[in-house]
This record gives sequence, C-alpha cells and structure tokens, in this order.
Amino acid sequence: MRVSGLALRKSTRRAILIWAFLAPSLLIFLLYRILPLAWNVVLSFQAWSPMKPAVFIGLDNYQEMLFDDDVFWQALWNTFGIIASAPIGIAIALGLALLVDSNIRGRDVYRTIIFLSYPLMTVAVAIIWRWMFDERVGLINYVARAAHLVDKPIPFLNSFTWALPSVIAANIWQMLGFYMVIILSGLQTIPGNLYEAAGIDGANAFHRFIRITVPLLRPSLFLCFVIGMLNSVTSFDLVYVMTGGGPGRATEILVTYIYKLGFNQTRFDYAAAVTVTFFILLLGITFLANRLSGGNAGAVERD
Amino acid sequence: MDRRRVLKTGIAAATTLFAPAYLHAQSNKKLSILTWNIADQEALFKEEFADFKAANPGVEIEWLDKKGPDLPAFYQTQLVAGTAPDIVDLQGALWVEWAANGAILDLTPYFQADPEFAKLFNADYLSSWVYDKKNYLVPFYVSKTLLFYNKLMFNVAGLSAPPANFDDILKFSQAMAKDEKTGFITLNFDWLYWPLLKMNGIELLTPEMKKPAFNTPEAAAVVDRLAKATEAGAINKIAWTGRWVEPNGAFSSGTVGMMHAHSAAYFFVKGQGRWINRDSLGAVEMPGDWSTPTNHGFAISKSSKNPELAFALIKHMTSNKWATKFAGIRRVLTANIAADKALLAAVQEEDPLAHAVLQTQLAHTDKMTGNWPLPNDAQIKDAFWPELQNALLGRKDAKTALADAERAVARVLRRS
Repeated sequence: MRVSGLALRKSTRRAILIWAFLAPSLLIFLLYRILPLAWNVVLSFQAWSPMKPAVFIGLDNYQEMLFDDDVFWQALWNTFGIIASAPIGIAIALGLALLVDSNIRGRDVYRTIIFLSYPLMTVAVAIIWRWMFDERVGLINYVARAAHLVDKPIPFLNSFTWALPSVIAANIWQMLGFYMVIILSGLQTIPGNLYEAAGIDGANAFHRFIRITVPLLRPSLFLCFVIGMLNSVTSFDLVYVMTGGGPGRATEILVTYIYKLGFNQTRFDYAAAVTVTFFILLLGITFLANRLSGGNAGAVERD
Repeated sequence: MDRRRVLKTGIAAATTLFAPAYLHAQSNKKLSILTWNIADQEALFKEEFADFKAANPGVEIEWLDKKGPDLPAFYQTQLVAGTAPDIVDLQGALWVEWAANGAILDLTPYFQADPEFAKLFNADYLSSWVYDKKNYLVPFYVSKTLLFYNKLMFNVAGLSAPPANFDDILKFSQAMAKDEKTGFITLNFDWLYWPLLKMNGIELLTPEMKKPAFNTPEAAAVVDRLAKATEAGAINKIAWTGRWVEPNGAFSSGTVGMMHAHSAAYFFVKGQGRWINRDSLGAVEMPGDWSTPTNHGFAISKSSKNPELAFALIKHMTSNKWATKFAGIRRVLTANIAADKALLAAVQEEDPLAHAVLQTQLAHTDKMTGNWPLPNDAQIKDAFWPELQNALLGRKDAKTALADAERAVARVLRRS
C-alpha cells in the first residue's frame, strides 16, 4: 500500500511529539539510572577507591563474593527472607480489603486508619517499631508481660532469632495500607453480576472468592507483589535504623551490606559487584513474577 | 565572537554561578574547612574566622559542617571530583586510611618548622595521629573512655569501691543484677569495648600488625566469661547491641550499675538521669587504666592549593586563645595543655563531677588502646565485631566465634 506524503508527515510529526514528551523523562532515566548502572558494571571488574586509580582485575570481586564472603551469603538469604514476607503482607491486606469492602459500619474510618501507615516516613516507622520492640520499655513486651504471656521480656531486636522477623513485621505494617488500597480498587472493578450469577448457580462464598475474586484480582496482586518486593529489598532505612544489620549479621540485607562496603569500608569496587548481582537478582524475580501473573502485566489491552 | 567561544564563556559563567559556594574557595587566598557534626559552634567559628581574616587580609574562609555518617561519604565524593576542602575535621581511625592512600597531607614538616606549636599539645594525644612515623592531624578535641558507676546501686549491693580488675567487674555486675537491674554496660562503636580485652592481656594483631593475635585460649576464656555474664543478666545485652544512644539511655535510667563510655557520655547521661549528682555518680579509670580514645583532629587535604595557609588556620583555631574558648563553651578537652588546664580550673567549682570526669581524660594517656594506625581499620572492625557479637550474645561458643573472626580478619589483612 502506498502511504501518502501528507499521512507520512502527520505520523512523523506525531512521533516527534511523542519523543519530545518522553525526552525529559528518558534523559533523567539515562542520567540517574542507566549511566550509574553501566558505571557500576564497569567498576565491578576493577580495583578502585576514591584515593586510587582504577585497575582492571577481571572477575576477582565476583570470585571473592561467591567463594570467600560469608556475609554476602548471609545478606542474600536475609534478602530472600524479606522478599518471601511480601505475600504474607498481601494476604493480610487482602483480608482487610475484603473487610472494608463489605458493608460494615465505619468502613471509611477503617480504610483511613489502615492506610495511615503508608505515607509515614520509613525512618519514623523504624523508630516507632524500635521502641515498640524494645526489651525493657517496649509496648509489646509490656503487654505480653502484663497479660502473663511471658515471664521475661523478649529481646526482639537484640536476638538472633527475633531480629529479622521483627524487621519484617515492621515492613509489612508499613506496606499494609498501600496493598489494601490497590486490592480494594481491584475489588471494586469486579462486576457485581458475576457474584450474582455464581450465587444463582449455587456457589458458596469460598468458591466465589476462589473462582471469581482471586483470578480477577491477579493484576492487582501482581502489582502489590512487585512493589512490595522492591520496597522490601530496598528497605535500607528501616533496617539501618532498627538494627543496623545486627545483631551480628542477623538482619543484614544486600542493600545495607552494599552501603557498608561502600561508605564504611571504602570498597566501592566490591560494592559494585554486589550491586550488579543484586540487580540481576531483582530482574530475575520481577521476570518470574510477571510470568506467574500471566506474562502480560503492565500491557495495555485495546478493543 | 565565534560560536565555540560563546559556548565556552557560557559554560564557565554557569559553572561559576551554580557551583557550591565553598568550591569557590579553592582559588588562591581562599580556604574551605569541613567540620564533623559541630554545627552548633557556628558563632564561635565565625568569630575565629573573623579574627584570622583580620590577621591575614584578603583571605576568605568557607565553612561547611556535615553530620556523623555523612562526612566520610561527602569527603570522598569531593575527593573524586577534585574539590576536596582544604581542611577536614576527622574522627576515629578514618584518617589512617586516608593518610595511607595519600588523601591527606603529612604535617610533620610543619610541626618541625614550628616546634613551639607541637609543645602546645599533650604528647600522647598528638602521637595518636602518627602513621608510618608521620604526623597527619592536629588535635581539635579529644575524649577517651572511663568507667562511670552508680553509687546508689553500689550501696544497695554492699559495694564500697569501684572495680579494681576484670574479675571485679564481673563480680560486682552480678551482685547488682536483679530483676530489671543489670551491673555493667559498655559503648561499643569503633573499638570502645577493647579495654575489656586489653586488661586481660589480649592483643588484636601481632606487633608487626600483619596477623591476628586474638585467637588464644585466654581470649576465649575472657569472651566466654563475658558471654556467661551477659546470659545471666549481669551485663546488659545492650552493651553488645546498642551503639551509644541506647547504652547511655540505659545507664541514665538508673538501672545499670556501671558504664564504660567516653567522657562525652557524661553530659548526655547527666541531662537524662534525674538521679545523677555528685554523691550518686562515680567516674574513674577502667581497671588497668586502659581506655580507648575517640578524638577529633584537623587534617589538610593533599589537593589543597594553600597548604601553608590551611596550616596557619589550623594553628589559629587550636591556639591557646581559641582552644580555651572552645573548650569552655563545649565542655570538652582539646589536648591543648593550656586550654585544658583552664577548663579544669573553671569546672572545678561549678561542676565537681564534670571535673572528675575530665580529669580522667588527662590521666594515663600512655595507656590508650583500640587506636591502632591501621589503614584497613574499618574492614577489620567489620570482620571482627559481628563474630564477637555472636559469642557475647550466645549464638556461637567463644572458641568457634574467635576462630571465625580470625579467619575473617586474616582475609582482610591478606587482601590488603
């Protein structure tokens, strides 16, 4: 088919307009995301510090990371632990969303209360929960002891067993409001006639939930999972303020370890290698989550 | 004017207009100074700078202050950009790494050229900034650890004097531990806990500083005793988990018998603990008189275009006149002998307890430990401390933890 000159000029003008609108965002993305990432990749193959010129060392940093660094592995497992906690938060949020989506009295108040945790600064959340978990003056221990649930206070943040679950609990609490709003908006897009038809067919509440609610909520749940996962693995401020990665390395996650390597130990080269690994890990998990959600998350469907 | 020249002129003008103000101070007769978490002294610094400028007409000084964790990162980025400030205030062992890597200037020739200046300072504090036989810093303000003890808790436990040795520390701690009360706590950032090991004859590294020396049966026994005392509640767990706010807070609450901390902690706990007065708080040296310093000093960036002028400003700021004024306002020792003498005389009447605390800072300065001039100090600390924590909090037995720590420290030393 022959395209007329006028139509071509129109499509060209349209393309230029699109690129003109995209350019500022793309430029910022290039400057603050792509270039640092590319430099990180280069740096991970070098020995470099702000006080020494860069020397190419091949895979030495990666070799040290994989075969000679126990802390990296500990931080990696802890990071997986935090990622694995995202579905717990989503499940709780789903329950809460179903609750506040029903016709209970004061549901708007409940929605507001649950959402309030999300806009709080992470540092503030960390400080609040650090005091809540405090062994001597913390509210949780106070209530537990007052209710005679425990004899001795639980050293939540000072214990190798409790520290990571405590940080995860604070992280879930902060994200709960966000999850709930996303799921709630997903619930409200499900046509009511589907439930009515299922009811006429004799489906009970559980079956309606499994057969209608969950499948139609899949995009919302995927969004929650990806954002929740990214928020969890990058929750540097939460971990740093609550435990600093300790006790020992009990709450060290990759992002806190990268910071310590770079700014406490002046090992920017090695930190770059861990960062590249971390980035690949995130890419892999996001890809996997996308596949699990049907493989077209984020796509715009047109009639 | 051709297009290229217009472009160059434009870029130059934009750079001049939008570059941070203190970067302008890199040109001749201009100095930039970066201090560490001491923004509250702005009025005094302005006074000092005005005085310096009056004596050195045409000099401009740009002052910048950064909070604790921000300064090292900030300085390193400026170093990479080639815009490091002329003078930088450094704390802990960071200076060794920067000195070993050629970021800061060897000040030995300046001290040699002006022997009277060196005599202004306590020799032990001054020599704590020597690496490879070269002196890199001038003391700004100094502090070292001591033992604070709660006399009220001592009385209840029937204890009449502070501990004289490690055994006493553990014994007294156990005697005071009851319900919510614990006997001992220590600050643990940097190497502040090291006097506990040093008083038992434990060394971190071999004398040539090439190999770990701490993995010995004696060290395992000491760590094991500390771990058992922690488990029994004699030592407060916060000693091994908190950094400085938490241990200070715990001691301020009046439920901890003894606290090993640097002198700056006195003003913190006094401000928080209503129970604290001359009769209720004691301040003495740790058994064996061992202490760990946590000092601040001024260094000059090697990239400074005006090192002589920078050294002149440092001399000015640490002179008898200004060090005395600074010590008086901040209630800190400066290692300037005259200034410290004046401070001690001033507080003797108005705050005898502060006087007792500050006096410990000038005693036994030859027995400071945990301040090894190691270029890779941060890495060694990060390799050693988590393993020690594992032992002290009961996750690993002392022998295993020390063996693991030895492997981790040896790896750092080998890599360096």
